[in-house]
Amino acid sequence: MSERSESDRLQREGWLQRMLRRPEIGSFIVMVLIITALAIASEGKAFNALGLKNNIAIISQLGIIAVGAALLMIAGEFDLSIGPMIAFAGMSIAVMMKWGLPFGLGEATPFLAFLITLAMTLAFGWIIGNIVVRSGLSSFIVTLAFWFFLRGLTEVCFRLINQNTNVSGLPDFKKESWFAEQMGGEVFGWLFDAWYWIGTKVSAGLEFTGDMTKSEKLDLINYLSFLNINRKMEQWVTGFDARLFWFILIAGVAWYVLARTQLGSWIYATGDNKESARANGVPVNRVKIGLFMFSAFCATIFATCQVFDTNSSDAAKGMFKELEAIAIAVVGGILMTGGFGSIVGVIFGAVTFGLVANAVFFIPWIDGAWFRVFVGTVLLAAVFANERIRKRITGGI
Amino acid sequence: MSKQAYMRVENIEKKFGPFIALGGVDLSVYPGEVHALLGDNGAGKSTLIKILSGVHQPSSGSIYIEGAKREFRNPRDAAAAGIGTVYQDLAINQLMSVTRNFFMGRELTSRFGSLRMDEMNQIAHDEMLKIGIDFSDPTQAVGTMSGGQRQTLAIARAIYFGAKVLILDEPTSALGQKQQMEVLKTIKRVRARGDIAIIFITHNEIHSRLIADRYTFLALGKVIGSGTKAELEGEDIRRLMAGGAEIKDLEQELSAI
Repeated sequence: MSERSESDRLQREGWLQRMLRRPEIGSFIVMVLIITALAIASEGKAFNALGLKNNIAIISQLGIIAVGAALLMIAGEFDLSIGPMIAFAGMSIAVMMKWGLPFGLGEATPFLAFLITLAMTLAFGWIIGNIVVRSGLSSFIVTLAFWFFLRGLTEVCFRLINQNTNVSGLPDFKKESWFAEQMGGEVFGWLFDAWYWIGTKVSAGLEFTGDMTKSEKLDLINYLSFLNINRKMEQWVTGFDARLFWFILIAGVAWYVLARTQLGSWIYATGDNKESARANGVPVNRVKIGLFMFSAFCATIFATCQVFDTNSSDAAKGMFKELEAIAIAVVGGILMTGGFGSIVGVIFGAVTFGLVANAVFFIPWIDGAWFRVFVGTVLLAAVFANERIRKRITGGI
Repeated sequence: MSKQAYMRVENIEKKFGPFIALGGVDLSVYPGEVHALLGDNGAGKSTLIKILSGVHQPSSGSIYIEGAKREFRNPRDAAAAGIGTVYQDLAINQLMSVTRNFFMGRELTSRFGSLRMDEMNQIAHDEMLKIGIDFSDPTQAVGTMSGGQRQTLAIARAIYFGAKVLILDEPTSALGQKQQMEVLKTIKRVRARGDIAIIFITHNEIHSRLIADRYTFLALGKVIGSGTKAELEGEDIRRLMAGGAEIKDLEQELSAI
């Protein structure tokens, strides 16, 4: 008898090989390619002080809902109601800020409006989750039903309370409410302050003079924009959108839960094979219901940031966002069939999508609709790549 | 033998509506013994193990654990009484690591809910080594393991979480020859511990003869024969396997076509 056992057939691999086999590698490579291409095509403008702020804003926005969608997909379910949930939450907060609390309970504060809205969206998430686990129906159909239900409900509520499907020109609550500032204001201002301080040192002695030609002036403006200095030689950008804070928080917590906690193990087990998870005592139904509620929570954070950033809301908010969130999760390496994936991959996916969605602002000659062409192509490629990963892990090839 | 049975079932009946799945079955299992439960498809083996593991409740009859009467209202009751069942599908998740499978649903956590991963890796490795597999990397996905190794994982898990009666539901079916032998070796190692009673459900007469100490034959929901290895002659086993029919009769029936 030979001393060889089955487990010896698995080759030991070096560090680089193991990195290349990580499920996030595909989304990482795509991200690096996009960053490079965008930097070249926009002549770097996409990553100057303002470009970075704007890109990070949309990356964070997409990332927040993609994390919710990803956790749910790992547990084997879909949520198509993310977009309408955003519209509903936005409507709820904006209407309360304009017309006061329901049942004549007086003026609303931003925080109170958020809490009441969150209670409603979590309740919707709970109802969706319960319907899915109790009926055994596909979450695709159940959440599609809620897509229509919530879109319709949002519009009806707007018309009944506001006589109009949009609320705009709300006062800027960020000045008086810490909560509105934390959702719609700016964060990490110190980073841009430091950037500006370094910029002033680097550009010391430079100034606009009367004898400069127009193109010399443009070149100087362009140069200074990378040093966070505007054309009046003052600090240009003062901070990131507060969304970044929420993205980091939500992604950080989701990563920790998934990789390091018992709940994370249960999420994987639920999505992989729910019968065997159940046989081992994993509370499969509670995991799923909880994740539908978490998805609703992420949509609510998205909407709250949006309302307090723009001081407005309308019934069309969150359009296509459910599909983008799912696409990001898939590009980030989450399997459509559940049970596998990581938050790091989803972050890479969000960066890629955010940059491409915003590219039209930095590359004037490009048609914005290319964004969808790109999404379609990358999505299909990602599904193939993920399928390969799944087969490799389960020994199917 | 003067050994006390860990588990004894008496006159178990199970009816599904008018259909009598089990019509009065007796069974005793002893620590350190392999009890082979044999029978053709539809003989009632599955119903019996589902009753023993708490999935179904018997219509009548009683289960005794160490002499005390017990009722299993659900699988958790059975597990608490020391009944560990390894089903054919093994209740294993392919995409998850060996360790995460080993502790699925019963993870070791610190006070804040985080996993004690190193400790879990160590335990999973050690427990599998005890019954015969040296698995160097418990963080690899179960999908990369062979069928026999997966059986071992499921068995080691059941033992670690307190099984005193280990019910193995056709552990050798759907495996290659060599892997079947691996599983039989694993079963013998568990038997050698001396403190665990094994119920080995199988179609395969040869496998049962290789490792069983005691036999129970089921046909159409009834026990048609039982006893220790010594009490049953080899020829008897084959006859009982065929549901009580003489092999000669079967041969005649076949040649008549």
